[in-house]
Amino acid sequence: MSDTLAPAERPQNGGVGGHPGASRPPKAASLWSDAWYDLRRRPLFVGSAVLIGVLVAMAVFPSLFTSVNPFDAATCDLAQARQGMSAAHRFGTDNLGCDVYSRVVYGARNSLVIGLSTTVVTALLGGLLGLLAGFRGGALDTLLSRITEIFFAIPSILGALLILAIFRTGNVWTVMLALAVLAWPLTYRIMRAAVITAKGQDYVLAARALGASAPRIMFRHILPNAVASVIVVATINLGTFIAAEAGLSFLGVGLRSPDISWGLMISDARERFLEAPWPLLFPALFLSLTVLAFIMLGDAVRDALDPKLR
Amino acid sequence: MRVTKGARLTAGAALLALALAACGNSASSGGGTASGDLPVRMELGEPQKLFHPGDTTESEGAEVLAAVFAPLVGYDENKQAVDEVAESIESKDNRVWTVSLKPGYTWHDGAKLTAQNYVDAWNYAANQDNAQSANGFFSRIDGWADLNPGEGKTVSTKEMKGLKVVDESTFRVTLSKPFSQFKTMLGYTAFYPLPKVAFGADGRITEEYARKPIGQGYFQFDKPFNKGTDQSIDLTRYDRFPGKKPKFTKLQFKLYTSSETAFNDLAAGNLDIHDSLPPSAIARAKSEFGERYLDQADAGVAYIGFPMQYNKTYANVKVREAISMAIDRETIADKVFSGTRAPADDFINPLLDGYRAGACAVCVYDPLKAGEQYTANNGPKTLELGYNSDGPHKEWIEAVANSLRANLGVEVKVKPFEKFAGILDELDEKTYGGMFRMGWAIDYPSAENYLTPLFSTIAIKTGSNYAGWSNQEFDALLAKGDSARTQEEGLKFYQQADDILIREMPYIPVYFYRTNGAFSQNVKGVKIDLLNQIKWTEVEKAG
Repeated sequence: MSDTLAPAERPQNGGVGGHPGASRPPKAASLWSDAWYDLRRRPLFVGSAVLIGVLVAMAVFPSLFTSVNPFDAATCDLAQARQGMSAAHRFGTDNLGCDVYSRVVYGARNSLVIGLSTTVVTALLGGLLGLLAGFRGGALDTLLSRITEIFFAIPSILGALLILAIFRTGNVWTVMLALAVLAWPLTYRIMRAAVITAKGQDYVLAARALGASAPRIMFRHILPNAVASVIVVATINLGTFIAAEAGLSFLGVGLRSPDISWGLMISDARERFLEAPWPLLFPALFLSLTVLAFIMLGDAVRDALDPKLR
Repeated sequence: MRVTKGARLTAGAALLALALAACGNSASSGGGTASGDLPVRMELGEPQKLFHPGDTTESEGAEVLAAVFAPLVGYDENKQAVDEVAESIESKDNRVWTVSLKPGYTWHDGAKLTAQNYVDAWNYAANQDNAQSANGFFSRIDGWADLNPGEGKTVSTKEMKGLKVVDESTFRVTLSKPFSQFKTMLGYTAFYPLPKVAFGADGRITEEYARKPIGQGYFQFDKPFNKGTDQSIDLTRYDRFPGKKPKFTKLQFKLYTSSETAFNDLAAGNLDIHDSLPPSAIARAKSEFGERYLDQADAGVAYIGFPMQYNKTYANVKVREAISMAIDRETIADKVFSGTRAPADDFINPLLDGYRAGACAVCVYDPLKAGEQYTANNGPKTLELGYNSDGPHKEWIEAVANSLRANLGVEVKVKPFEKFAGILDELDEKTYGGMFRMGWAIDYPSAENYLTPLFSTIAIKTGSNYAGWSNQEFDALLAKGDSARTQEEGLKFYQQADDILIREMPYIPVYFYRTNGAFSQNVKGVKIDLLNQIKWTEVEKAG
């Protein structure tokens, strides 16, 4: 979602003003400008967008938030292990005497990179295949649908453990791959269903009657009308991918030290939780907030894009 | 032969641990209300194998066997071997040893203990066809080579020519070379005898026996042990035992796969003795158990090793010294282990004669000198450090890695192996070229046990010399120590050999273990001996 989609002023300028309180955009507005207009008025969306904005800033410019570079081993002082919160260490220190705050800040990058890249890959792969299968139908559709059913039969955590065990090393890209391989069938199904619905619409039949080519019908007429549901699912899934990454790192097959991951930090701190709760609580808090923010965003986008709920 | 993976519990899957804990709870609450003779309940990890003395080289099975069997020698306060079942163990030349047994010992089935029982057991364990893990302990006995001609070759005899029964209660052991520490060695699990009934018609130990071993010690098995399903091992005092007997009649080993779970059970009153507390429980144990918290020195040593044999990266001893000096042992012992380890300053543990405080000068933390020496000698820019994640090693290995990064300015790749066996296999196959974590728990209390099995040339093949380090001067000093006429004389040579290790640093000693345990209000007098076993004769029920 970006603000280039529709100029913000348009609905207000042309507003009929018939409904006091819940003002509606003019009928001529597209689905997107309609949705954007709706979104801006939702506290759920504004709240989650602000939160995500802060997290993205953390991921891109972590040095804005902390002057400590946790990748520099010299910043850890074992003698200072498991200290409480202080001016020097805002979130205290972990079992190795490293600053928890700077690690939490730097941990945002891996979480977001994995969440976003997995989302993009699944949306592209599942979306394109779903578009093809839904549009063409026939043998291709049958084949692809059976393949996705095989993937659906694999429990996702088990499947990810298996894939990562094959790679033997865990880094951002292997984790992304493991999650994407297991998650694309969902996007595929949603896209396929939306395409099949759109295929029978009058405007598609009209375009076909006018002699438009198959790619043109697919990309110009069907895709824009089917993509909304994929975007909704992708946004909600982004949060779950971040949680899944933390889960895999916690289990020891995801990211590994010296990479920083919230899941890894939680795993490292759990044994001494009673003695020093901070190294576990703060990454857990950030993880929960991030996942919550993306799920709230997804909810808001769905409400805005799905006309049936309006 | 006891390289230690660290946690004395055999590690299991975390889920399994939860399931087992649940079973353990229900079992003990059933017995808790019954009147009469309540057992003393002791924490134990699942033994690796069934109970053959010659095939038990890990601590959990050894703990059970130590209650069921009586050793030839025990160890006194000064770590000297004292006769137990043996009336005397004598030798004039440290090569031919005559062992005579005290009268009155009987097997739990009533049969008399004879010298033949020892000879049978040792011949069995030393035979390669029987694949007993303690086989190497018998390699000093004359005739061992005949029983171990090598893989694929057939063994022509069943007996070592160095073992001879003299009369019913005396036997003679001839070693292939003099070995002054032989008597000390005899306290180890592998040297227990076996009764005639242990052997089946084919001459092998029957599974029936291995599940319910008949010993000659102060406790006997109540019923056969079903490995994998049973959650406890129940023992009853053997009242015909002629030596000093425990003051209580029933002992129960409760099996746990997680020492955290066992500690929670202890705190809840479902367990009486726990002798391997995890570092994470220390703070709680100290405050909750007070006088019933045990903290004592342990003879184990932990190292960081170098694959010297096939990786030239670490060939320069100055580089190895610099790495050693860059490790802050004091703070690791204090912060990572909450004081349950002590910084190492020798290859020999302080519990044993032969230890010299501060012997290893480059084991002292000196970050400045370490950095300078490392740069001056062109140390490698990246280091790899492997450890096994089935023991509690992650934290301290990460701490060491951080020290090296900060003090030497190098990149350190930390490589976790799922199992200890994984590192050992890769070292055997020469496929892993990085530094590795190593630990050693002694088999018998002698300084020699820190040297020969880990660093001698012959141990590359038959022992645990995973560094593959070989030094003729070192081997020669060990041979001199082995053939010395008195213990003290031998010790001098062992210390000289120790000096060579300190000079050459094939391994870096990092810390000495400590044993941490706690016990419930139901018992008193709990003591842990040199081999990490509870002295059952001292334990009493309270109240």
